[in-house]
Amino acid sequence: MAVEAIAVATTDLASIQASQMGMKAIGAGLAVGLTGVGTGVAEMGIGAAAVGAIAENKDFFGLGLLFTVIPETIVIFGLVVGLLLLF
Amino acid sequence: MLKPKQMSRLLIAASRDQMGPVVAELYRHHLFHIEEYVEGGKEGYEGFKIGTPLSGASEASVDLLKIRAIENAVSIHGDDMDSAKTCSGSELRSRIERELPVLEQEVEELTQKRSKLDNKVKEFEQKITEITPFVSIPADLGMYRGYAGFTVYAGYVAQEVTLSVPNETHFSKGKEKNFTVIIAPNGQRNEVERALQEAAYQSVPIPDESGAPQARIDYYSGQITALTKEIAETNAKLDAVKAQHAGFLVACEEFLRTEVEQTEAPLRFATTKQTFVAEGWVPSDKVDAISESLVKVTGGKVFVTVLPTDIEHDAVPVEYNNPKFAQPAQMLMDIYSRPKYTEVDPTLMLAIVFPIFFGLIVGDVGYGLIFLVMCFGLQRMMKGEDGKMFLKVLRNASISSIIFGVLFNEFLGFELTQVVGWVLGLGGFPNLIHGYAGFIMPSRHLLIGATEAGGHGPAIPALMIMAIWIGVLHITLGRSLGMYNHAKQDHGHHRMLAVMANFGWLAVMWGILVAIWSNVVMPYMPNLTGLPVVAAGFNLGTFVGAALILVGVIFIARDSVLEVIELPTIISHVLSYARLVAVGLSSVAIAMVVNYMAIGMFISPGMKELSIVGIVMIVIGLVIFLFGHTLNIALGLLGGGLHSIRLHYVEFFTKFYKGGGIRYVPFGMKRRFTEE
Repeated sequence: MAVEAIAVATTDLASIQASQMGMKAIGAGLAVGLTGVGTGVAEMGIGAAAVGAIAENKDFFGLGLLFTVIPETIVIFGLVVGLLLLF
Repeated sequence: MLKPKQMSRLLIAASRDQMGPVVAELYRHHLFHIEEYVEGGKEGYEGFKIGTPLSGASEASVDLLKIRAIENAVSIHGDDMDSAKTCSGSELRSRIERELPVLEQEVEELTQKRSKLDNKVKEFEQKITEITPFVSIPADLGMYRGYAGFTVYAGYVAQEVTLSVPNETHFSKGKEKNFTVIIAPNGQRNEVERALQEAAYQSVPIPDESGAPQARIDYYSGQITALTKEIAETNAKLDAVKAQHAGFLVACEEFLRTEVEQTEAPLRFATTKQTFVAEGWVPSDKVDAISESLVKVTGGKVFVTVLPTDIEHDAVPVEYNNPKFAQPAQMLMDIYSRPKYTEVDPTLMLAIVFPIFFGLIVGDVGYGLIFLVMCFGLQRMMKGEDGKMFLKVLRNASISSIIFGVLFNEFLGFELTQVVGWVLGLGGFPNLIHGYAGFIMPSRHLLIGATEAGGHGPAIPALMIMAIWIGVLHITLGRSLGMYNHAKQDHGHHRMLAVMANFGWLAVMWGILVAIWSNVVMPYMPNLTGLPVVAAGFNLGTFVGAALILVGVIFIARDSVLEVIELPTIISHVLSYARLVAVGLSSVAIAMVVNYMAIGMFISPGMKELSIVGIVMIVIGLVIFLFGHTLNIALGLLGGGLHSIRLHYVEFFTKFYKGGGIRYVPFGMKRRFTEE
């Protein structure tokens, strides 16, 4: 009886750990994926405007690139959260 | 190094008859950045006027226009050609007089002929599209026209039309649209048109042709084929002209450009009836050479002097002053903005750090070698100045990728040591992945398709801490340079505040770090948790960190209160360097997935049994391998390059760099096709 109970307990523990790991993976995926979408949406408008400005004046390239990549911070945060969750 | 070249303001004054020799001499030196004279306003220049071009300017301009027209017609670009100094100026001048009109006429005739032929082809193609719908109706095209009492309707309809009036109808069902031709008496026009409207009728013009539709189409197709052949012949003739005269044309263009630029130079000088004055900038170490040679060519009839420079108000042109290996990085600087004359020129730092970042991201011996081969391959195709610079930047970056590839122990996603062992016959084929570390750097190998026990996957914490350390140090360098720049450029009360604010940013960043170290133990970072506890359970380090943060915020606020809301950027900018790890890991992951799919899923099973299925599997595996790695190379180039340069532009330059300097454009030209 006792042996069986221990066996059941270990399998339970193993499955709980596995599902925890799975939840973490889902969380990490959501963190990176959703922040990626957020960054994309934010960069959409800026990028379009920057390309327009560069078409008018080529010297704007450096500044335009700078503006365009500002929202990238969001996805970096997502990435850091994801990595912290997984490791 | 770290400073633009020192410039001196030169004033040249002489009588008007010396203008020719002075201009020619300045042009030859290719050092004098002319400051254009603007009429009115400038002190000491009352009564001066803008000069007029020297003789021969308009003739040279006209010839230059002709040459450029010919070059456009046969598409020759000087940038695409190897430089070859073939002829001298006088030789070219006589050849231009002799050959240019003939050549111009020839090219013009050929291009006109070509455009005529092109127009005809278009016309015939248009006719074919007009006739095509009628092919399905078995009637001569001539039968659609010339009725007094009948109207011909031709067009597309949604469904077949049945009319109550007497008529002749042809209907052909098409894939998308149905075509119909209806001939009905004029008297019942209203009725017919109503019926057609119900069937969503779209009229089609009736072609002005006679004969069977298919025969006409065949006729026009034949004509088009003949015309295309003729166009090809004309193009071949133009190509022959290009092949024969390309060298002459680019040499002419260069020669005439030098002529035009020299004859039009007086437009930028200040002149009176008898004299002219030219102001401009030359590198300080070249002042003596230029002055001496000007005195020499004019026989002493010139006045040359160095004017004092007012760094704050003068628009001093900026010329880079970098060691040779750092010069290609100037291209990356110019994309952002040229440094001001008074600020630190970060080209050298960019030239060193950019390849390191690129290498950290790509970090693969295989990809590095492929980039290097690409560089040498493209060197033959790219002949312009910018292209060469770009290739040199890429070359440095790929060498750095190879070095980091060795450190990361990576070769096209395999382990370098395994690949080397396999090549030398010491071990079997690289076993997919077991995640052993590199030599010095932490491992980036993932456990994709791992076949052996004992692999440990990537050392994420170590990699992240490494990236953060790089970020902290890079930003500290940037802020320190910011302090230096402000100390040098600003004046009065603001100067101290600006320097202190930059110090404040540094203090906040390091304060946060010290506070974290005092409370959390982290690998590869100082451990300050052991410091004596002072109060409320917090140790000394926490208080030191908090004090640093407080002092920093005060310093920042004293310069500009609004800046305080920017404080979170300290964290986001440092964390931004995590992309060095993230982009690199994604590149490794793609490489490993490709390897696993190609070898693990197709090639290895295929090798076991060399039947037809096996061979097909091996071929599919090879295709996946090539396609996947090509994609990854493109992504690596884009990711590695863009993210490395972005870390400079956004995280590094925003701390100290303003830019906006004037480009140093010396009067003259680097001759590529002509001799002096």
